[in-house]
Amino acid sequence: MKPTNITLWGVNHKTAPVEVRERLAIDAASLPELTRQLLGAPGMQECMVLSTCNRVEFLTLTESAEPDLLQFLERHFDVEAKTLSPHMYTYREREAIQHLFRVAASLDSMVVGEPQILGQVKESFAVARSVGAVQASLDKLLRMALVVAKKVRTETQIGSSSVSIASTAVELAKRIFASLEGKQVLLVGAGKMSELAARHLLQHGVAPMLMANRTFDRAVSMAQRYGGHPVRFDDLHAHADKADIIITSTGSHEPIFRREHAQKMLQRRRNQPIFFVDIAVPRDVDPLVNRLDGVFLYDIDDLQSVASSHLSERGKEAEKAERMIQREVDRYQQSLRALDVVPAIVEMQRNFENTRQAETRRLQNKLQSLSAEQRSAVEALTRGLMNKYLHQTVQAMKLAAKEGDAATVKTICDMYEIDPSAAEVVRGNAARPSAPSAIDLERQDGTEADAELKVGL
Amino acid sequence: MHLLWLRVAAVFYCVACATTLPAVLYRRPRLQRVALPATLGGFFFHFVAIVEMLVAARHWMPVGMHEVESVLSILIVAAYLIVVFTYRATGFGIFALPLGLLLLITPAMGRDHSTFSSPMIRSGWLFLHIGALLAAYAALIFSLLSSLLYLMQEQRLKRKDGPGFLAWLPPLAVMDTIAQKSLVIGFPCMTLGLLAGSLIAQESVGAGYFLDPKVMLSFAMWALYVAMLMLRRSVGIRGRRAVYVSGLAFIVVISVWAANLLSSVHRFPGP
Repeated sequence: MKPTNITLWGVNHKTAPVEVRERLAIDAASLPELTRQLLGAPGMQECMVLSTCNRVEFLTLTESAEPDLLQFLERHFDVEAKTLSPHMYTYREREAIQHLFRVAASLDSMVVGEPQILGQVKESFAVARSVGAVQASLDKLLRMALVVAKKVRTETQIGSSSVSIASTAVELAKRIFASLEGKQVLLVGAGKMSELAARHLLQHGVAPMLMANRTFDRAVSMAQRYGGHPVRFDDLHAHADKADIIITSTGSHEPIFRREHAQKMLQRRRNQPIFFVDIAVPRDVDPLVNRLDGVFLYDIDDLQSVASSHLSERGKEAEKAERMIQREVDRYQQSLRALDVVPAIVEMQRNFENTRQAETRRLQNKLQSLSAEQRSAVEALTRGLMNKYLHQTVQAMKLAAKEGDAATVKTICDMYEIDPSAAEVVRGNAARPSAPSAIDLERQDGTEADAELKVGL
Repeated sequence: MHLLWLRVAAVFYCVACATTLPAVLYRRPRLQRVALPATLGGFFFHFVAIVEMLVAARHWMPVGMHEVESVLSILIVAAYLIVVFTYRATGFGIFALPLGLLLLITPAMGRDHSTFSSPMIRSGWLFLHIGALLAAYAALIFSLLSSLLYLMQEQRLKRKDGPGFLAWLPPLAVMDTIAQKSLVIGFPCMTLGLLAGSLIAQESVGAGYFLDPKVMLSFAMWALYVAMLMLRRSVGIRGRRAVYVSGLAFIVVISVWAANLLSSVHRFPGP
C-alpha cells in the first residue's frame, strides 16, 4: 500500500480579502463538476470542496506527491498563482483534521457559533460523495467532523445566544413570553432594522402583525408584504394594548409612547407583560416606561449591548470548544492507529491458523481412529488454545498501536514473522486511510479463524 | 426497613441537588443527564419508604411529624418533576430539590417518637383532611417559588443584563403559568382539607371548635387563598405584588402549622 496524505488548502475571511475570495467563489451548480475535476488531478485519491461566503477550502487525500493545487486553481478560476499564494494556507495531517473539525464546529467562522456552516459542510460532503470523490477515508473523517460539531453545539453554549440585533430582540421576547406562537406584534414606522426584526418574529409564528405608519398607504403596503393588518396612526393608542410586542422605528422627535400610555395599556391588558423594542433614534418610547412593572423596554443601545455580551460569552464557550476539539482529534488519530494494525493482526492470525491446520494434517493418521465427534472436539480444542495464546499478543499490539508505539508493534511483528508490508502501516502518520477492516479480510479469506479475530478486535 | 429506603432516597436527592445546582447555574448539560435520573431514583425510593412506613404504622395517612414532613417532601419533588416534564423548567430544582431534601433529612435520621395513635386515624375523613391540606401546602410553596423566580427574571430583564449568573431563569410566561396553576390546583385541595377537618371537629368537639386559634387561622388562610386567586384572575397581579401576596399566604401557612401549640382542638395525646 502506498502511503497517503491528508491536506487541507484554502483561503478564508482571515487570510484573504473579499476581492480574492470572490474570484474563487464556486456556486452550488458547478460544485459537483469542480469536485470531479479535482479528483482527476494526478495523485488525488479522495477530495472535497467547501465553498461559502467566507471560505473556499479543498480537503484532499493524495499519494505522497501532492498535486499542484495552485496550478489547478489558476486553470479553473482565472486567477494567478502569485495573487493567490500569499493568502493560501495549507494544513497537513493532524493540523488538517483539527482545522476541519474547527470549521465544522463554527470555531473558525466570522461569527463564532453561527449555525449555517455545519449545513454547508454537510452539503459539500454530500456533493463529494455523489461524484465519488469521498470514499472510506475521507468519509470516516467527515462523518467524525459532523459528530464533533454536533457535540460542541450540545455540550457548550457556543450557539445558544443571539449576536445580531434582530435575533437578540426575538430572544428577549422569548424570555418574556416563552413561545412567540400567536403573540400579537405591532410595528410602528418602517425601517430596515424593524422589518428585519419583524421577519424574525414571523418565522417564530407570531400572529398577523399590526402595521402602523404616519403615511397610511405605507402601512397598507407593508401589511400586504408581511400579511398583516394596517392601522391608522391616529388609532395607534387604541390598538396598542392588543400588542404583546411593539417595535417602533419612526422619525418622530417626540416620544410616541409615554408612561401614561403604557399604564393605560397595562390596565386594559390586566397587567399582561408588554415588550417594547425601540429602534428609533431619537427614541420613540419614553425611558420611564421601563420602570412600570410588566413593561420591558429595550432601545437600540440596549439591544447592541446584550448582543455584544452574547458575543463575549461565545468567546468563553469557544475556549471550551477548542479543548473539546483537541481531545476529539486525539481520539480520531488513536482510532486510526488502532485500525492500522488490523492487517498485521490478521496476518499473524492467518499464520497461526495455517500452522494449526498443518499440525492437524500431520497427525491425521493417528487421529483416524477417532469418531467424527471426537475429531471436531480436537479441532475445537486446538483452535481454542490458539486463540487463547494469541489473545494477549493481540491486546498488546492494539495497545501499542493506540499509543503510537511503533517499536513494540515492529518487535511483535518480527517475533511472529509477519510480513513487513503489513506491519509497515503502523509506522505512518495517523491521518492515513484506514487499512481494510477485519470484516473485509474475512470476506476475502473466508476462514473461520478470521471471523473469530473480528470478535477480538 | 422504610428508614433504609428513606436514606437511599436522601442519597439520591443529595446527588440530584449536587448536580442540579451546577447543571442549571453553569449550564452543564452533562450534569443534567445525571440530575434527572437521580431525582427520579430518589422519588421512587421515597415513595416505597412512605408506603412501607404507613403499612408498618397500620394507617394510611401521615400523622406523625416525620410522616408529614416526608409526605410534604415527596409532594414537592413530585410537583418539581411535573414542572420539569411539562415546562422543561429545570431551574426550579435549585430550590425545590434542596427543600425536598431538607424535609426528608429528619425523617431519615431515625424513628418518630412524637406520633400518636387514635382510632380516628383510620377514618377516611382524616385521610382527606391531611392529604388535601398537604397537597395545598405543596401548591402554595410552588406558587411562591414561581412568583419569586418571576420577580428575579423581571428585574433581570429590566436591568438589561446580558447572559450571566441568572441566565438559567425560565421565561416569565412559564413562571406565571406555574404560579397560576399551582394556586388553581391548591385551592380545591385546601377547601376540601378544611371542610373535612371542620366535619371531624364538629363531630368530636362540637360547635366551639370554630373559636380555636388554629381553626381561625386556617380559615384566614383559606380567605387569603381565595383573595389571592381572585386578584390573580381579575387584576392579573404578577412580579413584586404577587411575591408579597404569596409571601403573606406562606407566613399564614407557617403560623397555621405552628398554631398546634396553642390549639386545644387540634392537639392529640401522645403514644
